[in-house]
Parts: sequence; C-alpha cells; structure tokens
Amino acid sequence: MPVAQIIINSIIRASELSLIALGLTLVYGLLKFSNFAHTEYAVIGVYLALIFNVYLGLDIFTSALLSAVITGFIAISFDRMIFRRLRKSSAIVLSVTSLGLAIAVRNMIRAIWGAEPRSYTIGLQEPLIFFGIRLTPVQIWIIVTAAVFMVAFHLLLHKTKLGKAMRASSDNPALAQASGIATEKVVVWVWFIASSFAAVGGILIALETYLLPYMGFAIIIPVFCATILGGIGNPYGAMLGALALGFAENFGLYLNFGNIFNLWGLFDVMKEIHIPTGYRDAISFGILIVILLIRPSGILGGRD
Amino acid sequence: MLEYLAYLSIMTGIYGILSLSLNLQYGFGGLANFGQVGFFCLGAYTSTLIVVLVKGPFILGLLGGIIAAGLFGWLISIPTANLKEDYWAIATLAAAEIVRLFFLNEDWIFGKGPYHGGAFGIGGIPRPLQSWFSATTYPFFYLCIVILCLIVTYFVIRLVTDSPFGRVLKAMREGDELPLAMGKNVGKYRMKVMALGGATGGLAGSLVAHFWSFIDPYAFMPIETFVVWAMVVVGGKGNNLGALVGAIIIQFFYSSTQFLKDYIPIDPQVLASLRMVLIGVLIVLVMLFMNEGLVKERKRIYR
Repeated sequence: MPVAQIIINSIIRASELSLIALGLTLVYGLLKFSNFAHTEYAVIGVYLALIFNVYLGLDIFTSALLSAVITGFIAISFDRMIFRRLRKSSAIVLSVTSLGLAIAVRNMIRAIWGAEPRSYTIGLQEPLIFFGIRLTPVQIWIIVTAAVFMVAFHLLLHKTKLGKAMRASSDNPALAQASGIATEKVVVWVWFIASSFAAVGGILIALETYLLPYMGFAIIIPVFCATILGGIGNPYGAMLGALALGFAENFGLYLNFGNIFNLWGLFDVMKEIHIPTGYRDAISFGILIVILLIRPSGILGGRD
Repeated sequence: MLEYLAYLSIMTGIYGILSLSLNLQYGFGGLANFGQVGFFCLGAYTSTLIVVLVKGPFILGLLGGIIAAGLFGWLISIPTANLKEDYWAIATLAAAEIVRLFFLNEDWIFGKGPYHGGAFGIGGIPRPLQSWFSATTYPFFYLCIVILCLIVTYFVIRLVTDSPFGRVLKAMREGDELPLAMGKNVGKYRMKVMALGGATGGLAGSLVAHFWSFIDPYAFMPIETFVVWAMVVVGGKGNNLGALVGAIIIQFFYSSTQFLKDYIPIDPQVLASLRMVLIGVLIVLVMLFMNEGLVKERKRIYR
C-alpha cells in the first residue's frame, strides 16, 4: 500500500473520531465527568438515520441531518431525566450512572434491530483512483463533512454569544453564573451540540462500514484516547488527538518496527516486526496508557 | 431442578467473589474499575495454562490465577495511581480489553496439542477430583469448594476493610487531601488495593474455568464487568455483606429471566438484550434514587 493511501486512511479515521471526541470533551469541560454513554449517542443517531433513510426512503443527507437534531433532543432529555439530578454528585457517581445508561441504550438498540449488520441505501461505491490512491465518494464526503463541522464549531465558539458563554462556563461556572450567564441554558446547548456531532460522526462510520448495535462500544476507547491525548476538556485538543490517533492506528500497522529494533542497520536480527492486525484496537489502548504515564494532561494540556 | 440450583449457587458464589473484589476497589477505595472482567479472564486463563499445559494440580492453578491477576492489578495501577478517578475507569476498561485481545490473538501459548486456544477456546479443562464423584453429585462438591473460597475471600477482605488500612481507604475515597495531610502515600494504597482486588478477581476466574471446563475469550466480554457493577451498586457500596446480597439478587434475576421465553413468546436474542437493558436501567435508578444501595454502609466512629 502506498504511503499516500495510509495518510488518506488516517485522515478518514481522524475525521470520524474527531466529531465524536469533540462532544465528549465538551461535556467533560462543562460538567467535569467522563460520559460513558457518549458514544451511544452516535449509535442512536446511526439507527435514527436508518429509519429515515431505509424505512422512509429519504436521502442520506436529510436523514443524517434529521437524526442529528433528534439525537440532540434525546441527549437533552437524558440530561433532564438523569444527569441534571446528579449535578452535585461526584464525577465517579456520574460516570457510573452514564455507564448504566450506555448499557441500557446499547442493548435496547440491539433488542429492536438485532445484532446483524445493516447498511444505508447509498448505492454501490465506485472507488476513484488517482495517483494510486483509492478513495470512494463516501470517504471524500466523510473528510469534507468533518472539516465543515470543525470550522463551524470554531466559529460558534469564538464568534457567537453562545460560544463565549460556553467558554466562560467551562472555565469557571461560578464566575460565569455570577456574571449573568444562564449556565443551565449553556449546559442544554452543550448536550445538543455534543450529541448531534456524535450522531454525525457515527453516521460517517456507518457509511464507510455498516451499522452495528455495538459500534458505540467498539469506538469508546479510541474516542477516549483521542480526547485524553489532546487534553480532556479542550475541544481543539480533541481534534488534534483524533488526528494523532488516526495516524497512529494506521501507521502502527503499516510500519516495520524491525528497523527501530535494529537501530536502523546497527543490528541484523528480526528484520520484520509488525503489529499483528488483530491488535489494531490495542494501539489506542496502548497509547492511552502511555499518555497517562507521561503526560496525563494531554498534548494541549486540558483543563483539569 | 436440584442440579440447576447447584449450578446457580456456584455461579452466584463466583460472582459473589467478583462483587466483593469490586466493592473493595470501588466501595471502599473509591476506584472506578471498569475492567473487573480483565482479572476474571486472566485468572481463568492462567489457571487453565497451569493445569492443562504444566499438568499442575488444581490448587497450583488456583494460586497461579490469584498471583497473575494480582500482579496485573498492581501493574495497571502504576500509570493511574496518582491520577483523578475519571482516568481509572477508562484505563481499566482498556486494560481488560488488552487481556481479552491477547488471549484471542495468541493461540500459540496452548501449543499444537489438542487444546486450541484463540477464538476457538480451550475445552477439556480438568475439574478437581472429578473421578471421585458421579456426574450428578459433582456440582455439589464443587459448590463446597466455591463456598469455601467465598468465605475465605469474605473474611480476608473484611479483615482488610476493618483494619487501619481500610480506614485510610475510606478517607481516600472522600478525597486525597485528608490522607495526604496525614502523611499517607495514596498512590501506594491504590496499588495495594488493586493488587488485592486483582488477586480475588483472579480467584473467581480460576474457579469458573475449572467449573465450566471450557473457556473462550467471548466469555469475558466487558458486559460481565457491568453485571458485577450492578451487583455492587444494588447491594450497597462500602458494605461487604451488601456486595454479597447484590450478587445473589442480580444473579437470581439474571438467571431466572432466561426462563421467561418458555412463558412469553419472545425471541431469545431479544430477551437477552432486554435483560441487559434492565441491568443498565437498574444501575441508573439505584444511582438516582437509592445511592447507598440495599445494605447501607455502617457508619462508624473511630476514637
């Protein structure tokens, strides 16, 4: 496989992860707890889009948009029913509760749609080939969508009143409230943005592969890894972390560690050392543990 | 029916040990271990390796499982020992998945012999003293072994939680400031808790491997961790008796609901999913409305 192809694959993976990681880090920044149900919002969005796209016959763009908005409202209602009652509780209590919610949602989706993989009706994807790189139209859309959402988020955070309120509330909630910012309103908006972004990210993954009820659990560790890698609580860190992780996952499998092992020609033993493909998932676990060991605040230094 | 009861009691006993172990970590130490199944898996595989490959006796397998999982618990607490609780959850979740991936991918450790390993699992794991009993009486003998292990675990953990060590754990749970001010190295305490929690989790794993006499990586999915969490949360965190009560309730509920398909026309797959939905909902409800669980932690005044 040419290196350019690996780079493209890394960027695609990063695009999908960044949309989901962004929401996780936003919620952490504001409410100071790790939401283990976050990736399930992505799965809710994915299956809502299935309803619109396959059952109701809408095109995939409208379906994705509608399901992102509905997922946002579902997340707000979960907050009303569950998380808001625990605002004063410790982070551990909130994390355990979110874990319970995640189990319930994940298995509810499996009870309704079954465990078998499904897919959207987007037709057969003819890959375009240029300079030896294979890229399907869907993959181009994935990259474009993620880029548009990231830019939109940046503008939201820095050019709108809501963005200013979000930054203020996550910096210092007490001060923000004292300055007349309705922090509870900000919380509602953050849940909406976080979960609808996650829904879009989930739909992008489902477009490239297929829909599975357990896909939320499959990405929970990579998403957390990207978030912590960039610095938890920091939205730009989440983007950077996702990018770094995308590259690490793809290049980790591609690179020959034999060169490093032999110090680039100094020794001549075990020339081929590759990470077995079965350990693809373990790359993010490994990075997570290394980052916790050496720099738990992440690359950009999250708010801790 | 009696045999089923024996099976149910054995599984309740094994999960009781897991629940006691998690309760020590979360209920007393405040450590959110979302990878409890990793200890369970490691204990099961280590014990199997010792008994099947080295042809060691059951007791050696049991000890091996305890030591391996205890070491692993100590090892994974190194990167997280001085971090905030949030990081514990995700780091332990990842560690447990690494254990499972390892046994899924590395099938060579069981050699080329009759044992497969990897995704195929390992069958024919010998049960201790099986030739002494008939097929119908054996489960009752094994039940005795499990109950013995459960009692030992219970008293060891109680000894720990009632000791000065346990008092530091409880102080740590409420925040690092107080134990740090008293000159206690909280990181070291966390590592010790994880070692003990790991060892007891490994014991449960060894027991389950020799009872089922077949294990594969799919028996140790993360969902097992969450079932144990439901036990601790429902039973009452910070109370050893509560952890056992929780194990009995959840195990009974979990096992009895699988017979519902005989009465209600429902697809078994859907039923299995709905059971897990209930486990999740139960965790959320208890956290919302009954934070202390069924058996509340004893408030004690130390003088």
